[in-house]
Order: sequence, then C-alpha cells, then structure tokens
Amino acid sequence: MRLRIWTYLFKHGLMNISNNRLTHLISMGTITLTMLLFGSFMLVSYNLNNWIKQWGESISMSVYLTDDIAEKTQQQIEEVIQQFRGAELIGFISKRQAMLQLKEGLGDQAGLLDGLADNPLPSSFEILIKNAKENQIDPKKIKVSLEKMDGVEEVQYSEQWAERFKGLLDILKIVGFIVGAFLGIAVLFITTNTIKLAIYSRRDEIEISKLVGATDWFVKIPFLFEGVIQGIVSSGTAILVLFFVYYLFSVKSVYLFGLPVLDFVFLSQGHALMIIGFGVGLGLVGGFIAVGRFFKV
Amino acid sequence: MIQIFSVSKSFGGNIALKDISLRVRQGEFVFITGPSGAGKTTLLRLIFGTEKPTGGQILINKINLTRIKRLKLDMLRRKIGFVFQDFKLINTRTVFQNVALALEITGERSTIIRKKTHQALRALGLEKKENAYPLQLSGGEQQRVAIARAIINDPLILIADEPTGNLDPDITKEIMLLFRSINLRGTTLVIATHSRELLEDTGQRIVVLNQGRIVDEIVA
Ligand SMILES: Nc1ncnc2c1ncn2[C@@H]1O[C@H](COP(=O)(O)OP(=O)(O)O)[C@@H](O)[C@H]1O
Ligand SMILES: [Mg+2]
Repeated sequence: MRLRIWTYLFKHGLMNISNNRLTHLISMGTITLTMLLFGSFMLVSYNLNNWIKQWGESISMSVYLTDDIAEKTQQQIEEVIQQFRGAELIGFISKRQAMLQLKEGLGDQAGLLDGLADNPLPSSFEILIKNAKENQIDPKKIKVSLEKMDGVEEVQYSEQWAERFKGLLDILKIVGFIVGAFLGIAVLFITTNTIKLAIYSRRDEIEISKLVGATDWFVKIPFLFEGVIQGIVSSGTAILVLFFVYYLFSVKSVYLFGLPVLDFVFLSQGHALMIIGFGVGLGLVGGFIAVGRFFKV
Repeated sequence: MIQIFSVSKSFGGNIALKDISLRVRQGEFVFITGPSGAGKTTLLRLIFGTEKPTGGQILINKINLTRIKRLKLDMLRRKIGFVFQDFKLINTRTVFQNVALALEITGERSTIIRKKTHQALRALGLEKKENAYPLQLSGGEQQRVAIARAIINDPLILIADEPTGNLDPDITKEIMLLFRSINLRGTTLVIATHSRELLEDTGQRIVVLNQGRIVDEIVA
C-alpha cells in the first residue's frame, strides 16, 4: 500500500484515541501499571542473575594434606599452587586450627570431641579462584593435578553460593512467567475492550466506508494502530517511570553476605525493547481480537 | 452493464423477488417503479452486492456477483455510486469530509481529493455548506450530499433509491435534470421510485415491479 494511505490510516488511529480520550487514559494507565509491575520483576531478576554470574565466577578450594607430610613436600605444594594462573592462596589451616574451627562451630557440643585421642582433621591450603569462567580456568583440572601430588589427600571446591541462588532464581523465573502470563491476559482484555468501544462508537463510519468501497483492511488498520499506539505509550511510560524510581532510590551497589560489592544496574536496552515489544504485541493482538468479528456489509 | 438472470430473493419465508430477469445496457437510464413493498430496494441491493440472491445470477460489467471475492466486490463498489434512501451520511463528519470519503478510501492524492470534492459540491450547489454537519442540513440538502458522494468517483453505474422522496417539487425537478446530465456523460442510471409524477414524459425505460415480479416494461 502507498505511504499516504498508511499516513491516513495512522491519523485515523490517533483520531480514535483522541475521540475516546478518557477511556484511553484509563486503559493506558492500567496497562502502564501492569507493564511497570512486569518491568520491576524483570529488573530484579536481571540483577539477581548478574550477581549469580559474578559469584559463580569465584570458586573457593580446599587442598587437604596427608598427616605425615614432610615440611619440604608442603612447601612444594604451596609453590605449585602459587603457580596456578588466577588462583590465590588465601591461607594455610593447620590440623590444630581446623580442630579449633570445628570446636567453635559445634559450640556447646564441643565436648563430644574431647574423647578423641588423635586429631582426625587434616591440615589444608585454602585457595580462591577469581573470574574462573572469564579466564577459562577449570577448577576440575586443578583438582586433578593437585591430587596427583605426594602429600595431597583430597581437593574439594564449591560453587555452593551460585547454586543456591540459581535455585532461587529458577523459582523466581517460574513465578515471573506465571505472573507475566496473567498480566498479559489482563492487558489483552483491557486493550481488546478499549478498541471494541472505539469500533462501536464508529460503527456508522465503518459501515458507510464499506458501502463506498473501502477494503476490510482499510477499516481495520486504524484500530490495529490504536492498539499498537496504546502498547508503545504504556510500555514506554512504564520504562520511564521505572527508570525514575530506580534513579531516585537505587543505592546502585549492594553488599550482600559479605560477598564482593555488586552493582544494581538498570535494564539493558534489549530488555527495554523487550518490554516495549511485549506491550506492542499485546496491543496488536488485542486489536486483532477486537477487529476479528468485523461485520460484513 | 447489468445482467440479471431469473433472480429470486427471499427473507426467511418472505419472498421479496421472484424470477426477475433484466438487462441494462451501458449508458441506459432505467426507472424501477411499483408500490411500496414491491421489491425495488431489494433489487437495487442485489445489484450493489449488499444482499446475495437466493437463486439466479447477477453480472455487473461481466463480473458474477454471486461468486465474487470480498476484495473484488470492494473494488467494484468504487465504480458504482449508490444514493441510499436514508442517505447514509456520517453525522460526525462535515459535508466536505463525507463526500471526500469515497475518494480517501481509494488512497487518492489529497490535492486531487480536494479538487474533485469541491467540484462535486459545486455541481450540487453545496459549496456554502461544505463545513456544515449533516444534521444541520435540510432533507433536500442531505440528499444532495449523498448524490455528490455517489458521483465523485465518476462511477460507471449510478443507483438511487427513492432519490426524490423527501424533496419538494422544484428541487425534484432540479435533481432529475442533474441525473439526466450525469446520464448524458455516459453513466448508466438505475433509479427506484414509487412516485408516478417523476415518470411523466421522461422518455425513459420504466420497469414496473409488483409483489416481487416484473409486471410491465414500458417506455414512457
Ligand atoms: N432485510 C429484510 N428482512 C426481511 N424482509 C425484508 C428485508 N428487506 C426487505 N424485506 C421484504 O421484502 C419485500 C420488498 O421490500 P423492498 O425491497 O424494501 O420494497 P420496496 O423498496 O419496493 O418498497 C417487503 O415485503 C419487505 O418486507
Ligand atoms: Mg424501498
């Protein structure tokens, strides 16, 4: 179709909106609130996801030593550890220190340990590996190569933090999906009814346009534009409001559980586009539903 | 131009048209007449494609209306001007906008739309009313707006349903003269009327309907 037809149809879409200002104001307000809820959800899960990624990057590793280890062997192991790229030796925990830590951990029940003749706990080197993924460091390889060495009993490493939060995020994602679906249906319902109202108030015009030879699409497209405009305006407003709130209240950095400082960032451009796309998509689908049962003349 | 082959139309058990055959050549001027309820409006609607016949075939410009696709019917309507008995004007739009609509839907350039709309309004003596709304006009003026919209596309066929029903005798005469001049420019005209006066010494072909059948064909 030619550009001037599109301009004409777009103009009529805008006219539909301005002719039913109050209805549109109410419906766009409601859709904006809905999209705001959706956007906040996205913002939180986006940041959680970022944090988990960062945490997953740092791995702590314990290298347990045999009891009968010679001082020289222990020094050799320490040297080897320091040679590993990206690995940082945090400290050495002797058998005595390990026992003290255990006792501390047990608290009142520390008496249980008094019966032990020997200290069964091994001494260990504690290692921290930062940015493991970024530097393509495979903790498993380090574990295997260290365990081959004399004097090394066992190597353990954990990505516990990340795993625990990944679980939380998975739940959040499922909840988000369900909530998002319900919100989507609500938005669809609102959009469809607003457009139906516009169709109803212009039914004479539609009938007459068809009588003088307008095609179905010619009379339908303004209402689809109406839905799209609703979607763009509502989701755009929601993003602006979200950014404003973020800007006012965000501490920008979060210090959690003694872990490294993490940034609380705003949604990426891609996410913003996704929200707008979601709004536009719902507006368009709402328009199609409203326009679907168009009367034939 | 218009070929109708043994067409019938019934609404439920109510038979509006029975075994109608009619042929209207290009450039002809035909009156359809008969008492109220004879089936005149129904016949015009069948020609315009807003009703489908229960039986028989209708060809407009060799296009079979009983098997036409939606889009093709839309395109065909742009070549047929229809003056509805109840005018079918958009009350929320001005006279100018109402007339321009028939061109806007074709995607015509706006300068041409403006030019042609002014021309049509002038031809019907409505140039002073172009910014008025339909409900601010008299019945006769609304009638003329409806005619202006019907002729703006230079249609092949102009159909009018009781076009002088609400007009006083002077304006009736004027409108009839206008129709004649439109016909002289080559447009085929089909006009339904129950009024006998309109038919006196017109010299045109008259098809008389009664109870859904063609009962007479005369040239007055
Ligand atoms: N949409 C309709 N539904 C039911 N009956 C109709 C309808 N349109 C017309 N009729 C009937 O068809 C007959 C012819 O009507 P119409 O074509 O309007 O006559 P005219 O225009 O000659 O007065 C009438 O009996 C009328 O009641
Ligand atoms: Mg009638």
